[in-house]
Amino acid sequence: MLRKKTCIAMLLAGGQGSRLGILTKNVAKPAIPFGGKYRIIDFPLSNCTNSGIDTVGVLTQYQPLELNAYIGSGAPWDLDISNGGVFVLPPYQKATSLEWYKGTANAIYQNMAFIEQYNPDYVLILSGDHIYKMDYNAMLDFHIRNGADATIAVREVPWDEASRFGIMNTDSEGKVVEFEEKPKNPKSNKASMGVYIFTWEKLRHYLTEDEADKKSSNDFGKNIIPNMLKDKQILYAYDFVGYWKDVGTIESLWEANMDLLENPMPIDMHDKKWRIFARNPGMAPHYIAEGATVSDSLITEGCEVYGKVNHSILFAGVIIEEGADVEYSVIMPGSIIRRGAVVRRTIVAENAIVSAGAIVGEEKGNIAVVGQGINVPAGASVSAGQQVDENTEF
Amino acid sequence: MKDVMGIIYTGENDALLRELTIVRAIAALPVAGRFRVIDFLVSSMVNAGIRNIGIIMQKNYHSLMDHLGSGKEWDLHGKINGLHILPPFLTRENVGLYPGFLDALRSNNDYLSRSKQELIVLSNSSIIYNAHLDEMISFYQSTGADITLLYTKDPSLRRDEYGTYLSVDEVGNVLDLEVQPTHPTYENTFMQVLVMKREFLRDMVDKAVAHGLHSLDRDLLLRLVQEKQAKVNAYEYKGMCWNIDSVQSYFRFNLDVLDPIKRKGLFREDLPVYTKVRDEMPTYYGDHCKTINSMLADGCQIEGTVENSVLFRGVKISPNAYVKNCIIMQDGQVQEGAYLENCILDKQAVIKRNARLIGPEAYPIVIAKNVVI
Repeated sequence: MLRKKTCIAMLLAGGQGSRLGILTKNVAKPAIPFGGKYRIIDFPLSNCTNSGIDTVGVLTQYQPLELNAYIGSGAPWDLDISNGGVFVLPPYQKATSLEWYKGTANAIYQNMAFIEQYNPDYVLILSGDHIYKMDYNAMLDFHIRNGADATIAVREVPWDEASRFGIMNTDSEGKVVEFEEKPKNPKSNKASMGVYIFTWEKLRHYLTEDEADKKSSNDFGKNIIPNMLKDKQILYAYDFVGYWKDVGTIESLWEANMDLLENPMPIDMHDKKWRIFARNPGMAPHYIAEGATVSDSLITEGCEVYGKVNHSILFAGVIIEEGADVEYSVIMPGSIIRRGAVVRRTIVAENAIVSAGAIVGEEKGNIAVVGQGINVPAGASVSAGQQVDENTEF
Repeated sequence: MKDVMGIIYTGENDALLRELTIVRAIAALPVAGRFRVIDFLVSSMVNAGIRNIGIIMQKNYHSLMDHLGSGKEWDLHGKINGLHILPPFLTRENVGLYPGFLDALRSNNDYLSRSKQELIVLSNSSIIYNAHLDEMISFYQSTGADITLLYTKDPSLRRDEYGTYLSVDEVGNVLDLEVQPTHPTYENTFMQVLVMKREFLRDMVDKAVAHGLHSLDRDLLLRLVQEKQAKVNAYEYKGMCWNIDSVQSYFRFNLDVLDPIKRKGLFREDLPVYTKVRDEMPTYYGDHCKTINSMLADGCQIEGTVENSVLFRGVKISPNAYVKNCIIMQDGQVQEGAYLENCILDKQAVIKRNARLIGPEAYPIVIAKNVVI
């Protein structure tokens, strides 16, 4: 019997992230590199560590290899501990069933035994899709103070965009009176963030009930929350204020990276009181050669820059050869941009090569993408918004 | 290569390093933007499969202990063997200052006898190298020697009045040693790294100390070779190495790392150098900065000009500040309009607006830790 925990976190990291195109072909979205030295999952994991939540189940399903290797035993986030820690939870065969995760709620349902080990009073549901800093402990305090059965984190969105979201209509205390999915005429502009705290007893009941409903999508937003609301359970909306970026599309992933080059940064990554931890590759410091030009950019360990880099982010071990010219781009770990190549408004995934003289991306327009391990041939042209993978013909 | 343990001795003479070693041992000196000297030595041992490593501390070992911690970053924190920090033996009888390396080894006899490995690699901590120590060990085993010494022909390690030099025949046998000669005769510099059987070492150390002897080189190695009491041979190290024994050599080493060939010689894919990690954002380069032939760690903010310099983590270079041929340790700040040339800034040093500090290249200015100018 493991020691009881007040609150444990379950991080949904199993989705395909198909709107990220070739970037998620072989890698789950939470494992996508971000911000020069992070991966998307570093944000929810670090938030847990900083919030004092030391037990995190990471539910994986789609292409988990890189994610699993990255999480490892959880040491970078102080989650390599004897009582608790981070646990990778793929679907597994049970005595009477064997199925993939059917939906967000079903994924939690299938891992009830994991949760029960810690006999928690509360369960925090997170996803690995967003860039943000949040004190989950403050949200938990709010949940407990209000005697809530479920608390949904919400953020205010521009009114003209409210109809794209799941909107919470609340009373003056924050108690949820109605929940509308993508309402045509929104009554409130508080959008659900997909971050929930449930009193475990209640969640257990609703998960079990939902599982028995063959018509259900087994989804928190579509089924669990509306069902609880219908039964007049006590639901509260917790106001989140701060930077919050959904990085589920190529454009938004690129934008979130570019956000880090703003002065001041919209999300304070230098905050020593709320560090974002990551697994470090442990390479030598980066080198900038004579003749190289670097401006308005972020560069990390292991890089060697001989060419021009402007308004871009270089991840670990990236090489920019002499005569190469990179602007407004995101170059992920281990990639090489050869001499004379020009890269604009592009995301170059890990270990790719843009060969000499290739022109990738354009000054305007959609973001181009070079896939993991891809070699863009010398002198080739890649247009705005084009995604280059092994099937691309030049 | 598992049946080998390692001991690193960190008590060298560091007077010529001036302010740099007031608060820390040479082994703990920050180098190359994010490492400490000891990282290279421990990593060489770990890369050769050595998993039981003792670090003999002498003075100023707080930074070193803090840096090494449990040995986790070097994979030395496991249940089997691991990192052993061996602080000076303060007993009723002595004040903890070892007269020589042999005394240090004798005081740690407990550690030596409890260890189970057959062989032991000894290393001191002021020479930086990145070696395939397993090659030296293989040579030792295949030649059936009692002791194998590691040496280099690199002339940059030679010093007058300091160091040990070897005369080596064509198959590697050591014919003679000179210890701290006024001018070295032999071209082979002993790198203060050697391998022998653990029991043999214990035995030799015991006998030597019981006869009032202190120096490993002079009192043990030299005697064994001259009196032909043991088979002592030597293995040539052909890689890059540097002796960090003065401010000048410290300065030279860090600037050498700016050379791509030397850098590739030191940081090799087959011999990774492990070190403690500090979570930092990547370094940010502003709109009007200029960076020329420099190496920078993460977490820096560059708005001015950086030329031929090595910057450690978190260094801030303000607009119109200019640093040339400088080594700036963690969290240093060079404010607007300041100009520095041939300077070494220890951690958290702050150079205020418009200050000018120009040192001669042969004698760089050292600004001690936390100093504000």
